[in-house]
Amino acid sequence: MSYVNGLFARRLSGAQCAGGMLLAVAAVVFAGDASAEEWGTIKGRFKFGGTAPTAAELKADKDVEVCGKHKLVNEELAVGADGGVANVVVFVRDKDVKVHPDLVATKSEKAVVDNASCRFEPHVLMVQTGQPLVLKNSDSVGHNSNIATLKNPPSNSLIPSGGETTVTFTSEEAIPAQLTCNIHPWMKAWLVVRPNPYGAVSKADGTFEIKNVPAGDIELQIWHEKAGYVGEMTIKGKAEKIAKGRKKIKVAGGDNDLGEMVLDANLFKK
Amino acid sequence: MKSQSQIVSRTLVRLHSSWAVAACGVTLLMCVSGCGSTPAAWFRPNMVEATKQRLTPDQERQVSTVMLAMFGTPDAPVAPPETGLDEAKLQLAAGPVHSDIVGRKNGLYREHCAHCHGVTGDGLGPTAAFLNPYPRDYRPGVFKFKSTERSDKPTHEDLVRILHNGIPGTSMPSFALLSPPKVEALVEYVKYLSIRGETEIALMRAFFELDDEAQGKLPETREFLVDEVLTPVTEKWKSAADALIAVPEMASDLDLAASIAKGKELFYGDKANCVKCHGPTALGDGQANDYDDWNKAIVEVSKEVKSGLERAGETSTSGMDSEALAEHRGQLAWLDKFGRVLDGGDALRPRTIQPRNLRHGIYRGGRRPLDLYYRIHAGINGAPMPAAKGTVPPEEIWHIVNYVKSLPYELDGELGADRPMVAKDRF
Repeated sequence: MSYVNGLFARRLSGAQCAGGMLLAVAAVVFAGDASAEEWGTIKGRFKFGGTAPTAAELKADKDVEVCGKHKLVNEELAVGADGGVANVVVFVRDKDVKVHPDLVATKSEKAVVDNASCRFEPHVLMVQTGQPLVLKNSDSVGHNSNIATLKNPPSNSLIPSGGETTVTFTSEEAIPAQLTCNIHPWMKAWLVVRPNPYGAVSKADGTFEIKNVPAGDIELQIWHEKAGYVGEMTIKGKAEKIAKGRKKIKVAGGDNDLGEMVLDANLFKK
Repeated sequence: MKSQSQIVSRTLVRLHSSWAVAACGVTLLMCVSGCGSTPAAWFRPNMVEATKQRLTPDQERQVSTVMLAMFGTPDAPVAPPETGLDEAKLQLAAGPVHSDIVGRKNGLYREHCAHCHGVTGDGLGPTAAFLNPYPRDYRPGVFKFKSTERSDKPTHEDLVRILHNGIPGTSMPSFALLSPPKVEALVEYVKYLSIRGETEIALMRAFFELDDEAQGKLPETREFLVDEVLTPVTEKWKSAADALIAVPEMASDLDLAASIAKGKELFYGDKANCVKCHGPTALGDGQANDYDDWNKAIVEVSKEVKSGLERAGETSTSGMDSEALAEHRGQLAWLDKFGRVLDGGDALRPRTIQPRNLRHGIYRGGRRPLDLYYRIHAGINGAPMPAAKGTVPPEEIWHIVNYVKSLPYELDGELGADRPMVAKDRF
């Protein structure tokens, strides 16, 4: 009997508790299988399918004397000269994945977002649960950092010129969280909060690399702020539907090159 | 008198068909328990979230079934024991307005609150569209005026205080004339609606995270529904009393004039940066194009629908194969549904938020210096106002409080015979 039926009957019987315990035991038994000894590197490159639009220039209408000096552009879609799509997020969706000994320490390394030149640097950042995220301000004007997390308590701190504040997340976020500055409304960035170090943000040329992933079956998830979870792409000339941006792959020891993944221009028209 | 079957069929016609099964359950339940002449009230599903999450009619039904099982109906609310809610208090606040067997008035929420906040606590009562600011939508579980840290829940006392004082500058009146047990019942019911609303949102979002093997079905297990969905919500409510903002006393030998001068410096300076939103005149005319979280959520989905429709208009279907065509039609149906949800009774037209005009001396969250301290220290949850905590030390927050309290009376020159201190003497 399900919990819901139990509630309807307004009688919580012992039977369902036993069922739940059985399930929990089963989960423990099967989770023990991930004793990987080989580690692989996942890499690839995102390419824009179509003619890339030029990023629109933004006009600073607040703190013009400082922010007006910087060239500000809309960073929602950044396509390099050779068609590479920057700021595409790729992470391993599996939560209970074994972490390579070399990467364990990354959880205590500081992740940093700087308010610099009236924009956030970087525009998209991966941060692990428990990892200290330092929000600092290298500008000569004050900022605030409004973090719209869904599972973690949202926060919004003032960050004066030269100041900094540290935030840590206890829970992973299924959807990257937006970081905004209410004082300067054009400032937007994204935080990808994951329980492990296995994620990457594509660079200006569209390439990404996730190192030391345990060999075996894993599920990747691919996200971009304009496209959302990428639903389709063309790999090695072959169109592929990937519902909710989820792509199952088998990681082998050594390099696992996914090659060139073409994201159609239509995905970004939002 | 109308027959029960007439009431059932009339109610069903008015509903989105996808919710009909649950609503039918609600209606039947009500009629079994005896509904007299009042049509059965029902909780309006959070259609904005459901549509945003692209739930299928079957998934909408899954959510409404779980919600009905866990929380009952507006006439017969139940609360899982994990919520810690007092069902006796809920009964007093719930249901249609009526006197019970001992002559005690029941249905307090519908008597005093529902016309603005809605039967569901969605801030979509019949008068809501006429009010500015809009009545609070409890479902996201976010409350602005409280003695706890920014992302924490209000304490029980915080909600009692709001009911007592009302919210100056808004349409929220004081309910100080209600007896303490009635206020207690209403506060409990607001918590119930909030916990209910948050649970519904969490359930709707949970579909996205299901593994493919689940085939779009939420687990109906206690582990999932209570431990994963309900407990994170109720824990925050239970721990509110531990999240009180520690307020050091203002120095007893404080020189008020000097403190106001320091506060002024902070107000206009880079560290506290109040001036950016409240404006160089403190009239609230700084940042004028931002939204609070409730309105921002509607603005964002409205944009998505608008651009989606534009894109669909530009798309040619002539070269599409049957699969692509089916997908295109699915997208159009979703956009059409979303458009109806936003334009129908499930959302209000978004409005920008106005930073408070500090020259009026009207403070929504209370006018005690302590209230202003809370607002500056923690910022305002759900609003763009950031927290000064960690950046501005407590003694400086007190300076800002003193300056803000002086703003309605601030003159641009020295006091004198022609500029008396007492306002009425100036005219």
